[in-house]
Amino acid sequence: MVYNEIESAKREELEELELKRLQSTVERVYSLSTFYKEKFDELGITPKDITSLEDIKKLPFTTKKDLRAHYPFGLFTVPMSEVARIHSSSGTTGKPTVVGYTKSDMDVWDEVMARVFTLAGATSKDIVHNAYGYGLFTGGLGFHNGAEKIGAAIVPASAGMTDRQLMLMRDFGASILASTPTFALHMAEVAQKAGSDYLSHYKLKAGIFGAEPTSKGLKKEVSNAWGIDYHEVYGLSEIIGPGVAANCKESDLLHVFEDHFFVEIINPQTGESLPDGQRGELVITPLTKQALPLIRYRTGDITSITKEPCKCGRTLLRMESIVGRVDDMLIISGVNVYPSQIEHVIANTEGVTLNYQIIVDKHGHLDKLEIHIEVSDEIMTDSLGQMGALKKEIQHALLNNLYINAHVVLVQPRSIERSMGKAVRIIDKRKEQ
Amino acid sequence: MSKIQQLSIFLENRPGQLTDITTLLSQNQLSIKSINLIDSSDYGILRVIVDDSQKAKEILDDAGISLKIVEVFAVEIDNHLGSFNEVASLLSTHGINIQYTYTINTTQNGAFIFKVEPTLLDKTIELLKQNGIKILEDIRS
Repeated sequence: MVYNEIESAKREELEELELKRLQSTVERVYSLSTFYKEKFDELGITPKDITSLEDIKKLPFTTKKDLRAHYPFGLFTVPMSEVARIHSSSGTTGKPTVVGYTKSDMDVWDEVMARVFTLAGATSKDIVHNAYGYGLFTGGLGFHNGAEKIGAAIVPASAGMTDRQLMLMRDFGASILASTPTFALHMAEVAQKAGSDYLSHYKLKAGIFGAEPTSKGLKKEVSNAWGIDYHEVYGLSEIIGPGVAANCKESDLLHVFEDHFFVEIINPQTGESLPDGQRGELVITPLTKQALPLIRYRTGDITSITKEPCKCGRTLLRMESIVGRVDDMLIISGVNVYPSQIEHVIANTEGVTLNYQIIVDKHGHLDKLEIHIEVSDEIMTDSLGQMGALKKEIQHALLNNLYINAHVVLVQPRSIERSMGKAVRIIDKRKEQ
Repeated sequence: MSKIQQLSIFLENRPGQLTDITTLLSQNQLSIKSINLIDSSDYGILRVIVDDSQKAKEILDDAGISLKIVEVFAVEIDNHLGSFNEVASLLSTHGINIQYTYTINTTQNGAFIFKVEPTLLDKTIELLKQNGIKILEDIRS
């Protein structure tokens, strides 16, 4: 089922709408934002230069740095009287990023989140257990409003208090779970303590997961642990929050709601556009945003896109699940590696859970890569030899597949830091030195 | 009661990990009857026999420490020369491989703990009994 017919419109029709919206967004920022006016003037372009979607390449990029430099409201293009909501990032790596929404922006957000729920098969008959954190983080309220829009019953559980969440999910008979994948996995680990038939106490049929990069292995683990369909949602607060894209039942690729969010893939080093199918940095231009319209926002996320038709009937282009971050790319002794590739190797090792941490450090002048892996019941044995063999197996696989030398360290279960929001997967000590 | 439940506990190679475990056991009034540590360069396995292995497992599980329960048996040491050799030879002539062995002390006697291939455990105990070798029945004494 499609929530809005535009999702399965002819591509020409879709692109015509996108061009119209792009032109009005460009007009809007040119007349309302001194920041963009200056940038356009520098490049010698005016809104009249945008006559096709291709022309977007003439426009300047916007980065997170620009948002920080104009902290808190410098890039808003409406007076505060029209702002209905303000969200903010945690700001762990500097000043927080502040985003604003008008009433109309909120409507767009509700709409795209309603589409996400519909993609996952949710209807007004469902009970949605929302374990995303409520507050400044866009996850909690984004999912809340989307579930409300489709008329589902929402349990606003927010993050934390695992035992209590499990009790509510059991007793209320939640059918849809919305949470980060790592929290879903953590809840499953706790639920499993009740016995191997724990799933008989729950009525979950699907989960909508996001806010963290996720490998195929992690998706499969969450999906198996809960016996549910796994749906991934992509989004970022700078653009809207969750609701930029999500996958349907037919494939792992995420349908981008491109009537609201125009996407491009570029080479992160040169800024050049890359053709469909090639991986590069995802750049998004929201087409309907009022409070904070951004032009060609560089997400820092690595993915690829395709316009191949999907079996579900939607004509919206699709993107791969995020492969990595531009700034997460690790260079280990000259070899480029994305953490997701390491995760893939770990996921393919039998008995190993995906509770791992990558630690990069310098040993003299050489890079040293350590991978901490939690010892699960499945791999715990009475024999040093067997555990040593497992370690070697992973080390060989990393060397053969990714050409990196890693040292695998086995650690106690649940000893790797789990945060309720995002998992701490990589520690690069080289940056601290 | 011929079989004994041994805890094989995973140990990270870091200071304090061993005492974390022994502290937990003593705080919960669990008495260590025998202990044996094997290690590689960066992790180890602690083999412990306590008076209540199920209770110990629950406590360690809750504390997030990985372990397995493994069945072993104990042969009482007779105070004469060659008593260990007798047992080892008997097993060897019957093709039973000793995976590892260490000692345990009780108030009356000492004993040797033996670990063999789990599928051969019952057969091994039977064999030793038939040959008049005394199997330690109760480690709590």
